[in-house]
Amino acid sequence: MNKSRKQRLAMVIDTSKCFDCKACMVACKVENRVPKGFWRNWVRNDGVGDRRRTQYQPGQCMQCAEPSCVAACPVGATYPLDNGLVVIDPKMCIGCGNCVTACPYGARYRDPATHLADKCDFCRHRLARGQEPACVETCPTKARVFGDMNDPDSEVSKLAKQKKLVRIHAPQVETKPYIFYLAGTDLLDWARTPVLPGNVHMPPGFWKQG
Amino acid sequence: MSEITRRLMTRRQMLKLSAAASAAAMIGPATGLFSGRAAAAPGQAGAVKSVFSACDMCFNKCGLIARVQQGVVTKLDPNPRYLKSRGMLCARGNAGIGQLYDPNRLKYPLLRAGERGQGKWQRLSWDQALDLAAEKLQAIAEKYTRCGVLFMAGTDTQSTFVHRFAEVFGSYNVISHESNCLISRNRAYLDTFGAMPIPDTLNCKYILMAGANRFEALVTPDSMDIVTAMHAGAKLVVLDPRYTKTAALANEWYPIKPGTDLAFFLAMAHVLVNEELYHKKFVAERTSGFDQLAAHVQKYTPEWAAAECDIKAVDIRRITREMAAAKPAAMVYPGRRTSDYENSTQIRRAMAIVNALLGNWDQKGGLTLPRQIKTGHIGYDAPFYDDNPEDRVDAGRAQMMFSEEGSFKYTRDAVIEGKPYPIKGWFTYKTNPMQTGANRAKTVEMINQLDFMITVDINLSDTAWMADLVLPAPTSLEREDPVSSFQGSSACSGMVMRNPAVSPMFESRPVFWIVKQLARRLKLGEFFDFTMADFRQAQLKKIPEVAAALAKEGVYNDTRPSWGVHQGKDFRTPSKKVELYVGRYLKHGVDPLPVYHPRQEVPEGKFRIVVGRNAYISQSASTNNALLCEIQDDNCLWIHPRPAAKLAIGPGDLVEVASPAGTQKLKARVTEEIRPDTVYMDTGYGVISKGLRNIYGKGACIAAVLEDRADRVTGNMAMHETLVSVTKVADSAAAATCPKR
Repeated sequence: MNKSRKQRLAMVIDTSKCFDCKACMVACKVENRVPKGFWRNWVRNDGVGDRRRTQYQPGQCMQCAEPSCVAACPVGATYPLDNGLVVIDPKMCIGCGNCVTACPYGARYRDPATHLADKCDFCRHRLARGQEPACVETCPTKARVFGDMNDPDSEVSKLAKQKKLVRIHAPQVETKPYIFYLAGTDLLDWARTPVLPGNVHMPPGFWKQG
Repeated sequence: MSEITRRLMTRRQMLKLSAAASAAAMIGPATGLFSGRAAAAPGQAGAVKSVFSACDMCFNKCGLIARVQQGVVTKLDPNPRYLKSRGMLCARGNAGIGQLYDPNRLKYPLLRAGERGQGKWQRLSWDQALDLAAEKLQAIAEKYTRCGVLFMAGTDTQSTFVHRFAEVFGSYNVISHESNCLISRNRAYLDTFGAMPIPDTLNCKYILMAGANRFEALVTPDSMDIVTAMHAGAKLVVLDPRYTKTAALANEWYPIKPGTDLAFFLAMAHVLVNEELYHKKFVAERTSGFDQLAAHVQKYTPEWAAAECDIKAVDIRRITREMAAAKPAAMVYPGRRTSDYENSTQIRRAMAIVNALLGNWDQKGGLTLPRQIKTGHIGYDAPFYDDNPEDRVDAGRAQMMFSEEGSFKYTRDAVIEGKPYPIKGWFTYKTNPMQTGANRAKTVEMINQLDFMITVDINLSDTAWMADLVLPAPTSLEREDPVSSFQGSSACSGMVMRNPAVSPMFESRPVFWIVKQLARRLKLGEFFDFTMADFRQAQLKKIPEVAAALAKEGVYNDTRPSWGVHQGKDFRTPSKKVELYVGRYLKHGVDPLPVYHPRQEVPEGKFRIVVGRNAYISQSASTNNALLCEIQDDNCLWIHPRPAAKLAIGPGDLVEVASPAGTQKLKARVTEEIRPDTVYMDTGYGVISKGLRNIYGKGACIAAVLEDRADRVTGNMAMHETLVSVTKVADSAAAATCPKR
């Protein structure tokens, strides 16, 4: 990665390569010591259907450019880094849970022991050691491609240039996710409208204050 | 003289010749070659120690790097230099850490203190345990001959020492897990091609998969390579009564009527022959018995097969023509587990014949010759015991058994009957026939005939639960193992070696140490007069390049071309050609060409139960793993909505599954992902061992309802021959309790 330029970390996921082995989920769980009963990533599927084919779609925190979780945090404990990663400062988090319901992708949870918010950060600690996120590295078919969208030589940039990419958008609120999927992925409309706890809907402008 | 006795004799003669070399190897210095420390990855200098190893969560031995911080393994990362697994580690591989730090692990030797299977144990010291084990083995040997002790070791790199111990102790009765798995496939391909081929799925253009589920029953690198091949335009066609994930991702899926695959492949052969679509040059030059085959398949038309298989004739013809057009980069995937039907060898013979007609042997995208790197060894001249019986206890019970593998089913029958001679001792290592051998009640009956049963394992498996003496083994992450070879499809063959990431926990001891201690107590110490370092040294003596690669990268990859290497060379068959017609079968009473016998329809109210896998469990070995339990900690019965409605079974209802072998209860998963005449459940649940705390009391044990039929040719267990009835026991407490897929 080119260090002189500002990075924009992203993933491009090729759904057609995933056979739902869930290696990414267990790798993440071990790497990040995710508590029992919680996951930072997932593999969705579109059921059987008439076509008698099923698609498996991996996902996790989409590291949005306009993150509704950041807008929802009353204390500024969750915020984007220069490289686009949305992170949580556990020292500032008050465990209110606003960000959990504010995420259109259900990517956040409150740790049952600390009661603080947690989620995928693309294995920031591994990136610092020069390793890829655990889910990316362990994947049998490398369905997830990770890299810097601002680096024209990165795999993700090349895929963005060569292929048609799609995003999974939240209804009503555009959060500009930075996980892209190769066009052809079926599951595009599962994200939910961000709300505050208690199913409190906020005017669209609220979600843009991050 | 039996085949095994001959084998022993030839080995003895051979070893006399190599004795000098062996002696030299044994006294060689233990060098620092095997320190096994990978260079620290960038940015983790000092803090994290990295140790090369190979995964042991299933048989694949995928390459991994254990990250160790302050003496604790914190993460298992894939080893990207390892071409078999190509930088992947599956869910089970990642959960290897859960096996290492499982609080349910066996911690010290245990002696049965109550009734067998009651679960009352007394802790022993290792000295007490080994003295007792040696005393019991000696007593059985004296009373019933040395063949009165049966040895069964699972797929493990240290199983070689169990086999060595069995041989010097003097028992021919050694079985592996393989006769509950794949020996009928091996028989069919060995008899047709003279070798068990390795499929080059990566370069294949058309893969027909029947009786295999490569996106759930993962095999590296095939599972990855098939995806890559499909992205390059290859077609995948799957025949399976279940909508597996392989079926879900295939270009075409046919829910074939279980047990009728032979009809499908005979019809393919019919089309290839009659439409002259076979590979003419290959068939003419490299095969024998084509004329007999051509005559034999005349009656097996696609129209005839359609009625047997529930697959339209037009599809059988089209698939065959498409494969012929893609030949030789087209294959019937050989698969692995073939413990399904009483004619499973003949089913795989038909698949092998279709492969031969496609001329895909030794071709890019076809079936390739296995390549193994030869290692050295520390030889031995096993003693001869005059009073031993003539042959294995299961000898003669199948038409053409592999004497080095035997048959679990027939050995168990022999132990129960006490014929032809009694077996009163059983030593098992990392294998769990209580869960993987069909008809659990019979396994219990077998164990009840024994005077003494010793089980070495990591967990208190159901098999350990039944034993008299249970000895704790370390996980692969705590072990120093011999060098072992692997075959990475067309990418490579290679060698790998395990080094301990951490020291053995609790009082666990590797089976190498255990048999060495037993040998010493039984005055057989001379056969184990070496250390693991000595053994590895002997293995690598003549292949220093392998030793160097193992030290540097944790793996040695041999990337010489895997196809185009067998041109002009004979096949290792009696005719030196690919045997479409196996003449020597006649003298064993086996049909030299596969003959189809119509399968009885499943009667109304009954279901055929089939065995299978998902990607999170390795039969019964990983079902109690806490990390994998978060994905699945229970099994359920797959049943189609139509019969379920007739039986008033709704999602999550408790049902009873009954066969002549036994009865089990579990929740129903009402799903269109299975044929209406077939039911399925995952293996490895319904355990009897209370030492498997995460899953005890959950789900059902498929081995308890499967009848123990066998493949007539090899004695491989035939697990799909059981018909069961299903009845509702209770409504679901909560409708959505069945594990999600």
